Amino acid sequence: MIGVLAATFLTASVEWVEAYTIVLAVALSIGWRRALNAALAAIAVLAILTTAGSLLLTRIGDLAVLQFLVGVFLILFGLRWFAKAIARGAGLKSLHDENQEFAELRAMPEINDSRAAWAIAFNGVLLEGLEVWLIVVALGVQTHHTIAAASAALAALLVVILAGFLVRKPLARVPENTIKFTVACGILAFGTFWTLQSLGYAWPFADAALFALFAFNILGGLTLTALFKKRLA
Amino acid sequence: MRALIKTLIGDKRNFFTAAICILIAVIVLHTRAAPLTGLALPLMLLCGAAYLAKH
Repeated sequence: MIGVLAATFLTASVEWVEAYTIVLAVALSIGWRRALNAALAAIAVLAILTTAGSLLLTRIGDLAVLQFLVGVFLILFGLRWFAKAIARGAGLKSLHDENQEFAELRAMPEINDSRAAWAIAFNGVLLEGLEVWLIVVALGVQTHHTIAAASAALAALLVVILAGFLVRKPLARVPENTIKFTVACGILAFGTFWTLQSLGYAWPFADAALFALFAFNILGGLTLTALFKKRLA
Repeated sequence: MRALIKTLIGDKRNFFTAAICILIAVIVLHTRAAPLTGLALPLMLLCGAAYLAKH
């Protein structure tokens, strides 16, 4: 339960920080009222998607099938974040920079058009939120804690809103890559555990194997980052 | 819709890397080395991540 909440909260925090940058850039052009209106519309769509996704998955009667589906999707998601975090940590790829993102958004000509700017804010929040949606639905349904997972995502949203209200500029000091790396290790651990369990594999030490998988991913990821860094130097 | 699919499976390279890792784990699971599957899949995923990070 704590693992699910932590993974959801951290995933959501990173995504909401990116969404906040987009909403802030749009708000400076068309005003906070319209920008927040677009963000709320996107969050409403995400809430509908979460409900629909959860209902759809809970209709799957066979636990092994559900576990396999959720496990595979978590592996696909976790692997993507894991590889990106390693590449960014090693310097193979540039780090995500909220200030640069904000400057690029502000330089877009469409941002001064009311309708286009509204669409930028709506699409931005929706796209960033889709990854939160995937984690809430996948982890929530599999562990029967969908409401708790959704609450963790909402808590992260409130934290980002509060931080944004206080700072009033892009939240560039959030250690995004470290958070993404940690979350990816956790998501990959859940994905690996459930995928193999659904295929009939009996994990030694049962649920405690999740901690071993998480530690393996952390150590493996850090080793790869160090190796790539050494090669680049 | 495209964004939803990209969120679910990522790009082609990510999809095939994960698929190969899971496929190898399934093969290991059906051999005499089955008890080692719990090590094989995380190891394969680590190799897959190294490949994706480099390319």
